[in-house]
Amino acid sequence: MKSIKRTQRIITLFLLLFITGMAALVIKIQRESPFYMMNSDKHELGMVYDRNGEVIFDGSGKTQFPEGSLIDLGNLIGDDKGQMSNTLVAQNIDKLNNYSFNAGLVKEGGKAAIYTTLDHYADRAVYNAYMGAKGCAVAYNYKTGEILVCTSLPNIDVTKGYEGIADFETGTLISKALYGTVPGSTQKVSTVITALEIMGADKLFSKSFTCTGHYTNKNGDVIDCHNTSGHGEQNIQQAVENSCNPFFAQLVADPDMPLNSIKKVYSRLGYAVNGEEEQYIDIDGIQCERASTTLVDSNDFNTQWACIGQGETLVSPIQLMMWQSAIANGTGKMTMPHIIDRVTDVYGEVSELSKTTYSKQLFSEDTASTMRQILLTNGANHYSGSIPGYTLGIKSGTAQVKNGDEDNSLLVGFVDDPRHPIAFCVLLEDRYSTPVTSEQIVSAMLNAICN
Amino acid sequence: MKSNPFAYVISGLFVLLAHCAMLANILYNGNYEQIGDVWSLAAAVLGLDLAWAILMPFFRQHTHTVDFILILILNMSLIFQSCFGGVHLSVKHMITCIAALIASRIGFLVCRDHNWIARQKKLIWIGIGLVMIVILLFTGSRSMWIDMGSFTIQPSELLKPLLVMACATSVAEQQKKHKLLWFNVVWENLILLGITAAICLLQWWCRDLGSIPTFAGIYAAGFFMRICYPKAKFSKKTLIGAGIAVLVIAGIGIKLAPAYVRDRLFVDIWSDKTGNGYQQSQALIAIADGGWFGKGPGKGFLHNVFAYESDIVFSTISEEWGLLFALMMIFILLLMLAVPLINPPRSYYHGTLAAGVCAAFTVQMALNIFGSCNMIPFTGVTIPFISMGGTSMVTSGLMAGMLIASQSPSFGKLPAKKKRPSARPAVRKGAGA
Repeated sequence: MKSIKRTQRIITLFLLLFITGMAALVIKIQRESPFYMMNSDKHELGMVYDRNGEVIFDGSGKTQFPEGSLIDLGNLIGDDKGQMSNTLVAQNIDKLNNYSFNAGLVKEGGKAAIYTTLDHYADRAVYNAYMGAKGCAVAYNYKTGEILVCTSLPNIDVTKGYEGIADFETGTLISKALYGTVPGSTQKVSTVITALEIMGADKLFSKSFTCTGHYTNKNGDVIDCHNTSGHGEQNIQQAVENSCNPFFAQLVADPDMPLNSIKKVYSRLGYAVNGEEEQYIDIDGIQCERASTTLVDSNDFNTQWACIGQGETLVSPIQLMMWQSAIANGTGKMTMPHIIDRVTDVYGEVSELSKTTYSKQLFSEDTASTMRQILLTNGANHYSGSIPGYTLGIKSGTAQVKNGDEDNSLLVGFVDDPRHPIAFCVLLEDRYSTPVTSEQIVSAMLNAICN
Repeated sequence: MKSNPFAYVISGLFVLLAHCAMLANILYNGNYEQIGDVWSLAAAVLGLDLAWAILMPFFRQHTHTVDFILILILNMSLIFQSCFGGVHLSVKHMITCIAALIASRIGFLVCRDHNWIARQKKLIWIGIGLVMIVILLFTGSRSMWIDMGSFTIQPSELLKPLLVMACATSVAEQQKKHKLLWFNVVWENLILLGITAAICLLQWWCRDLGSIPTFAGIYAAGFFMRICYPKAKFSKKTLIGAGIAVLVIAGIGIKLAPAYVRDRLFVDIWSDKTGNGYQQSQALIAIADGGWFGKGPGKGFLHNVFAYESDIVFSTISEEWGLLFALMMIFILLLMLAVPLINPPRSYYHGTLAAGVCAAFTVQMALNIFGSCNMIPFTGVTIPFISMGGTSMVTSGLMAGMLIASQSPSFGKLPAKKKRPSARPAVRKGAGA
């Protein structure tokens, strides 16, 4: 009876389906069990190291750190106490746990660790350079994507715990480099890139606009220049160097810069335009806010103001720095930053190894090349004295915050040196009440990284 | 046994040895307060092994393979259940294990003779009807239990073996086609479809939605057996139509499902691990904590979580005994279901019994294990023989008896006056009484 054998086929079908499901379950458990354990109260966390092998977090709590030695890294590295969620440890705690399905939870001698790309020495030097002022500084290798420095002030020494948390200064528990800030005139880098993409270098350089100290747009709104007596007639290079607001307002209103084209290039750069859903840039699990702006009408004050870098435009210092990589590399593609170099498992075997990745094409190589030259010229003409020893492509910015009561100073740029391919962004809050300048911070940062 | 006493003894010794190894693990690695707890468990387990081995030869069977696998898995279950949270003999579970063994004998005796059971077909339908009436009258629309004071009964469990029997006894009717409008239909197929639909609706009414896939699985196995029956002539169009109908019904079911069911379908257990995702998240943590080799019998924490001994029992065993042992336990259950592959059933009736039991057991195991491990919605059904629960154990025992019957069939004579050649099952060449 041939057909009676179908009984066996039906039984085989049921059994095979079930066995396939069981195989999937075993694979799932194998892969996800570290995550499950991190959701329990059973942890045996390992170490986090900087790029030189210095311990910057000890999950076992056994390492005795010198007083305040980790104050520059607290709100970036974080800990397992649950007070800060957007930190390296909090987002990668399953990698740090001395657990594997095969070995179980290893209480002594586990070698689970995260080796970061951070240079703690340089990071601390930058922190010190702020001299108590507030802000943040971030720098990375624009060839490899390794984040070298990322400090934010005020900060917290996590080894001391969270006593008196209610009295902590605003911003203590977040790394400001990850969150949107008013970019000031560093935004003009994006606007120049946009103009280059829309009309090309020749046409852009052929255009000149006059600055009389202020500009009244077609709607009758006035945009002031920081130079009240005006810059006179300028081309794009001069306008970037002078950071001239009226020039850029006129450029945005120019008929050769249709608003739809501006929006398209801004979107390609990564801005959430006009309330688009904001996404995050993922840096090894740490979420970095994506830029956002409002562009409604080329002749509208707010739109022009947004393209100048004030008003409703917000960009994180890390994203400002990433755009610099696309310029410095001359490719128009950003080098994606990473903070984890490698991860070792409970046995000390490398379980994850970082690799350099790039964004999609944000702008053309021609645009990158032209923009690069504009910034290098600006650096050579204006920053060789204040930041000596480096060939810099650089753009400054002053962001009006708290309804214009305070000015934040920003510097974004890159080092044009194949031995030290560093892109950076420095934010100095309330610049007029601090004993330090953003140039001094950049100088201290580059000295610490490169020397 | 008579044909191969050597194999019988070796099989018995293997079962004894397996249980002794588990008991030794408890002795050296378990969490117990008094050594007496281990000895009492050992006495219960080994006593049951010996008693079963002595009793089995009194039943005339072609093979005892399923019987030995049954006692192996039942006593493993007794050991597991006696260790959760600390070693102590679970008398309640031991009683249900004995009940399951007795049920397996009843299942075997009732189901082994196709001709006899075919004559009782209407009694099976009446039995299904009675159980459904009992459910309607006594469980209520939001419950599946009848409280009997010191214990509870889940009557819907009894419908599973009855549906397997109904499917098996109707398989021989496939050539009795009747004209209905434009279709040639087999009345019993329609009756079966109606019975299955009624059971599923009743389960819906009781909010025991987790059992619906089991009944659907049994019906599907029966359906496939019917279309395999000689000259059944199910067209491809019919099959495709049936498949589409199943998908449509499933889609409507999900759409109309109560809020708590949809919550379970789409819950993110890790963001709601103190609410709807509590049992599953704790179950997965327990498996991770146990690793391959477990924390040791009685050394787990999952016994503090509701339904640790039934709905999430796979995780509780994994935690204490290790995933490897839990997989081995499942392997033994699968081995029981796979016996018909080695020793094929000798008639369509017995084949349908085996396929129906296989469907019921695999669907139940899948719902329990994959549900508790967050691969599919969590339903709260039991793993046959492993989960604690008297009704579940008895019905599982009955179905194991059907499996035994499929291995040791008998083909009694038909009554002289009732000539129903078509009701006689197609018998494999060379087989028979």
